[in-house]
Formats: sequence, C-alpha cells, structure tokens
Amino acid sequence: MSPGKVLERLAQLVLVLLGVSVIVFLMITLTPGDPVQIMLGDQHVTPEQEQALRRDMGLDLPLPERFATFIGNAFQGEFGLSFFHRRPVAEVIAERLPATIELTLVALILAVATAIPLGVLAAVRKSTIFDKLATVTSLLGVSMPGFWFGILLLLLFAVNLQMLPVSGRIDFAYQVEPITHLLLVDTLLRGRPDAFVNALSHIIMPALTLGLPMTAILMRVTRASMLEVLAQDYVRFAEAKGISRRRILFRHALKNALIPTVTVAALETGTLLGGNMIVETVFGWPGLGRLVVESIFVRNYPLVQTAVLFYALTYVLLNFVADLLYTVLNPRVKL
Amino acid sequence: MHTHMFRHMFRTATFASALAATLATGAAGQASELRVGFSADALTLDPANHRNRETETIIRNMYDGVLTRDAKMAIVPELAESFRQVDTTTYDFTIRQGVTFHDGSPMTAEDIKFTFDRLILDNAMGGQTSPRKGLLGPLKEVTIVDPRTVRFILSAPWPILPAMLPFQEVVSKAFVEKEGSAALATKVNGTGPFRLVDWRKGDSIVMERFDGYYGGATDIPPVGKACVDRVIFKVIPESASRVAALLSGDVDIINELPAHAMNQVARNANTAVVTVGGTRTNFVALNNTKPPFDNVLVRKAANHALDKKLIIDKILNGTATPLNGELSPDAFAFKADLPEYAYDVAKAKALLAEAGYPNGIDVTLDVEGPFKDTAEAIASLLAKAGIRARVEVGEASLLTKKWRQDKDKVGDMTLTSWGNGSLDPSDIAEPTLQTGGRGNSAGYANPKVDELLVKASTEIDKAKRAAMYHEAQAIVNDEAPWIFLWLPQDIYGVSKRLSGWQPSADSRINLHDACVK
Repeated sequence: MSPGKVLERLAQLVLVLLGVSVIVFLMITLTPGDPVQIMLGDQHVTPEQEQALRRDMGLDLPLPERFATFIGNAFQGEFGLSFFHRRPVAEVIAERLPATIELTLVALILAVATAIPLGVLAAVRKSTIFDKLATVTSLLGVSMPGFWFGILLLLLFAVNLQMLPVSGRIDFAYQVEPITHLLLVDTLLRGRPDAFVNALSHIIMPALTLGLPMTAILMRVTRASMLEVLAQDYVRFAEAKGISRRRILFRHALKNALIPTVTVAALETGTLLGGNMIVETVFGWPGLGRLVVESIFVRNYPLVQTAVLFYALTYVLLNFVADLLYTVLNPRVKL
Repeated sequence: MHTHMFRHMFRTATFASALAATLATGAAGQASELRVGFSADALTLDPANHRNRETETIIRNMYDGVLTRDAKMAIVPELAESFRQVDTTTYDFTIRQGVTFHDGSPMTAEDIKFTFDRLILDNAMGGQTSPRKGLLGPLKEVTIVDPRTVRFILSAPWPILPAMLPFQEVVSKAFVEKEGSAALATKVNGTGPFRLVDWRKGDSIVMERFDGYYGGATDIPPVGKACVDRVIFKVIPESASRVAALLSGDVDIINELPAHAMNQVARNANTAVVTVGGTRTNFVALNNTKPPFDNVLVRKAANHALDKKLIIDKILNGTATPLNGELSPDAFAFKADLPEYAYDVAKAKALLAEAGYPNGIDVTLDVEGPFKDTAEAIASLLAKAGIRARVEVGEASLLTKKWRQDKDKVGDMTLTSWGNGSLDPSDIAEPTLQTGGRGNSAGYANPKVDELLVKASTEIDKAKRAAMYHEAQAIVNDEAPWIFLWLPQDIYGVSKRLSGWQPSADSRINLHDACVK
C-alpha cells in the first residue's frame, strides 16, 4: 500500500469517528431516561438538590453546547467524568480494557486454531460423515445463544465436575505485578507458571463461549472457499503434475482459500468485542463490555460515548488490517 | 484434530484446577477466608462520592458510621458512644474514645466534623460536591463542642436525622488532606472491622481483618475483632452464575438469589436459603388523574379483585409479606390494624357496576421486563373481576419518565415499587403520596394527607408524629390510590460452613460477626 493510500484511509477514519460520535451522542442523549433521576433513586429530595446534581453532571446545559463540549474535549483526549464512578472516564475504561482484550485475543486464537483445520478437513472430506457432523456442529455453534452456552459450561465444569472456577480472571492467592496487563502474558514474563495455569483455568470457559459462534462461521467460510479453490484448474494441474496431496492442500489451495476467512475473521473480531458484553456478564469477567452494559442502563453518557467511540475505532482499524493482510496473501490484490 | 484439541484442553483444565486447588490451600495456610458472590462492583471506595446501595454495602465493612442499625433495624450508636437531642434543630453526639483508623491514628471529633463538612458543603471534595448531600436534609453545620462532643445543627427540624446517619461513614481528616480527596476513590483508611488489601476493579474487593478494631457498636454483640481473617467480595452480576458459584463452593454468601432458584439452593447438601424482610414496597399505581381509576370505587374494586396470597405463594415462592398500605412492618409508625381489602371477586364486580362499569374495564398495565411474570399473573387475576389489563413491558427509565415526570399521566396502571432504606415514613410517603412527589406515580393528591405529611416531617415528639402518620395511612388505605401489594423479602444463598451471619433488612452485608468453618 502506498503512503498516499494509507493517509487517505486515515483521513476516512477521522470522518468515520466524527460521524460515529454524532450518532452516539444523539442516540444516548435522546434515549429517554435521566441519569440524575437514576442516581437519586428512591429518596426524598428537594428540587434544589436535584438541580445541583444536574449542574454537577453538566446536564443543565443545552444539547448543542453539550455536544460541542464533548467533541472539543474528545479531540484533546478528554472524555469527562463518569457520572457514577465520579472519576475520569478514560481512567475507568483503561482499568477494564486489558481484561477484554485478553479475552478477545484468546477467543480469536481458539476460533482460528480450530476453525481453519476443521474447515479444510470438512472440504477435503466433503460429504463424508465428518463433513456432515461438522456442518451440524457449526450450525449449533452459530445458533446457540452465548449466555445459554456459557451457563451450560458453568453447570458442567464448575458446579458438577468442579474443574474450573465460576468467575473472575485469577484467584486472589496469585499476585502478579503487571507488565502488559494481560495476565496470561504477565504470568509467563514474571516466571509464574502456577499463576499462568490459574489464569488459564479462569479464561477457558469465557473464551470458548465467546469464540464458539466465530469458530462456526470461520469453519463454514473456510470450507466453502476451500471447495471452490480445490475445483480450480491450477489445483487439477498440480495434481496432474503428481505433486503430493499435502503440498497441494497447504501450499497451493489453502493460501488462496484463506482470503475470505481473513476478512471474516477481522470483521468477526469486531463482533467479538460486542459479544463480550454478554459473556463478561455471565462469567463475571471484569472487562469493558460489562461496564458498558451497566453504563447504558444507568445512562452514564460520558462512559457510553467514549466506549462506543473506542469500539468504532477498533472496528475500522481491524478492517484496515484485513485489507493489508489481503495484499500479503494475494500479491495480485492492490489497494 | 477436533477431538485431540478438546482432549488436550480438558486435560489442561483438569490439571489447572487441581494445581489451583493445591496452591490455594497452600498459599492460604490456616487463614480463614469468606467470599461473597455479589451482584455489583463498588463504583468508588469513597464513602461520600456515590449514591449506590451496593457500593455502600461493600464500603460499610471497612468504614464505620457515627450510628448504625442492629439486626432488628433499631438505630444504635457506633462511633458515637451516645447521642441526645438538645432542641428541635440540635443534636449532640458523644464520641467514642480509643477508636483508631486503619493507619493507627486515633479518631477524633475533628474527623467527624471533617467527614460531614465534606458531605454537606459545596465543592468540598476537591471541587466536587458530594452526591450524598441530599441524604442529610437540612443539616447546616457540624461543630466541635469539646474533644468528646460534636454538635449537629439543622436549619429546620428534621426528626429523621438519626435514621439517616447510618448511611454515612467517617473518614480521616489527616488522611484525606495528605492523599487528596480524589485518592479516596481507591484508598481506604476507615475505622471498620476490615481493611482494604486490593481492589481488582470489576473482579473483586479483598479485605483483611483490622487487628486494631475497637470492637464495633456495644449494642450489637459480639463486640471485638472480626472473626475471619480475610473477606473477598467477588463481583458476579449474572444471577445464574452467582448461584453456580455458591453451589460449586466458590463463594459462601450470595445476594439477590432469584425466587425460582431457591429450591435448587435449598436441596443442595452444602447450601441453604436465608431471607429477611426487605424495605421495598411493591404496589400497582393506579392513575388517579383520569378515568377509570379517578373513581375510588374502581380503585377499591381493583384491590378486592386481586388474590395477593396466590401470587406470593406461586410466583414469589412465599417470600413476601402482604401489605395494606405503604409502610413496611419494620418502619416507624407502621399501622398494623389497617383494614384489608379481602379477595372477593363478587364484591369487585359489584363495585365496578356501582361505578358505572357493569361490563368491566379495559386498561393497560405497565411493567419493567424483570417483573413481567408478576404483572401477567396480576392481569390474569384481575380479568376474573372484569378488569381486563393488557401488560405492556417498558424499560425502567422510560417508565420512570412516563409515570413520574410527564405532566399528563396517560397510563392506566403500573407495577412499581419504592425503597425505604431509612424505614421512616417520610422517606416513602412524601415521594410517593404527596401531591407532585418525585415518585407519585399514581398522581394521588389529597390536601389532608399532604398536610399530615408536612407536619409529621418536622414533628419532634415521637408519639405525635406517629399519630399523624397513622392518620395518613388510614386515609390512604381508604382511598386506595394503589393496589396494595407486598413487601418482598431479600433472599440470600449461604454455604453451611458459614456461621454468625444473618441478612439485614437494610440490605447491608455486615461481615464483622461472620465465621467460616
């Protein structure tokens, strides 16, 4: 990709973010519900006390003024105070982000590592019992609601077999000084295999739950594109030349078949961030998704706005990465 | 590949948990640890900078207040030794001696004054004003009379000051001045039975026993240090997961056990269900401002048409107390002899006919998603008497706006509730029944009730005050602005290794006296 193209994409990014912030701001502020009323709860309060709180949250200003302040501050990296935590939003989000990133990455790795081999196998053994089983399983994987699958896992592995913990990231007994804030990485960097295993035992169920639909989708995509590629002339030609089956599959076919898989994987990673909201709630995972859900319910405007901006940014960047990967996988593709 | 991968993962998992179990026992040694599976994380650890019950429940184990409540909800001195009312607007508190903060410094009258200044003065928290200011009503000033006595001065008589003081916790003046007000969001230097070890935000709050604890309220035995070495509040927002954590032995107490999961917890050999009368009055607000519920006969018909007992037994699993008015039986001035609207379909039909609706009425019943089942049961029972209610599910904030803020009330009925943590009538009757009150969903307006509520809110003589509330309750009961429903109990699941702990009606989880085997 030429530097000009990169700049062009970045300029688009700014526009997208600006558009997203307008939409988010309008959507959340126009949604009925008043954070002041929610915060006051069931108390007897005077109108003066209510007004004081409104002023404190900056909600006494007219809408356009509030929007201008929000955008102006956002460009300077200021996202305001969380209404309910009463601390800077950026700080509150930063505390929760590593857990979400770690969970997303592990789910992604699990999904890719299972989906691609399974998809290839299903394509190669097309119409066998294995293929049909894989098809049914993946259909189940896409259809099963995350919270339900999560709770099934909990009941089996935590309650009945007592093999895995129900919630959290790591037991209190393990204190690991953070480096990257990703526990699986930090525990290894600090040379604490015991803590690593404990963190792993905590992340397995949430990551499986989160990654399941993605695994299913990726498997279907890989299978379909693999079948398409295997029917191409160059594959038949390679077979005619007597090249080994394994070499044909992995050197010739898979590389080309992966292009759609990569696009879908990148986009689905964005979806994983969204799926986090449910999985994090079920497994008490201390991530951003749960924080956002809780914040939406109590109309914590600054936090929701900032978090959605962050999601949008990630999504756009992931698309960008997918485009870049295209050019690597298939040199004929020019951006 | 598929099977191999999973087998490998399972093996890793088994290994992981086995290793974790060994290490956990090894690391913990003989220390006793109590874990609470709790529905929400604290928003902040600063006792003055939130308006959130869950946050207070957690914080209250590290911070003590001037006053507190015992298990029967009586108000008793905690950091105060005693208190007395000097006149209608003045209270004197004698400060307990020998109390130290977690950092070892002694607690003095200065700290109490500082705590309340921070709560009631504008911009007193590093530029922020405490959102808890409103909880202290007309408290104007706190002065130090002598090193042992602190005086609270009100700008107007406010008899519920003692009932509101258990909601505030005392902070250290020196600590706040040294660390800065904002630091209290994450650092704790309280006088409570536990000190903060670690706050893993969104995940858990870890505390350990404070060995310098003065012992707590003398009226609530046992007085002394906390029983367990360590306490962990684990944040598990999803109720099914909280139940799973209790059943698997991961935690020893869970809050907000759903009624439908009670049997599962009770049947399990290692766990039990405990309940306590709550403070949240549930009712169906009838729109008193427009037909058909502007007619008292129709409102009475609705009260007679509902078989409350059936719903309490079948849907709430017996965990609620039926009410004939707005107050909890635990509340001050509760009138126990209010007439009951007995379940009587024929009478309900007759009242409807008398009101001019011989063929019944068609109305809507608004409800929030989580209470849809109850609303549907109510609707189907009302239908038998000719009150055909269509249940409409709405989001909480939407319903709040529709029923409590919009000038014109357009709905017919809404299943709603109001919490009364202070257990004082003023805190529930004024918002929900006074003309124009913040929570007056029914749009009820009765000048006599308004007058009684206003007078009672500043009446210092307890007997006179109670008499006024009794009179108001009788009028409200007779005019039936609501279908009076019930007071749900708070339901907890506990492990059988737990002893010395009981739930509390104000929904606090005080772990001072709790022990684990």
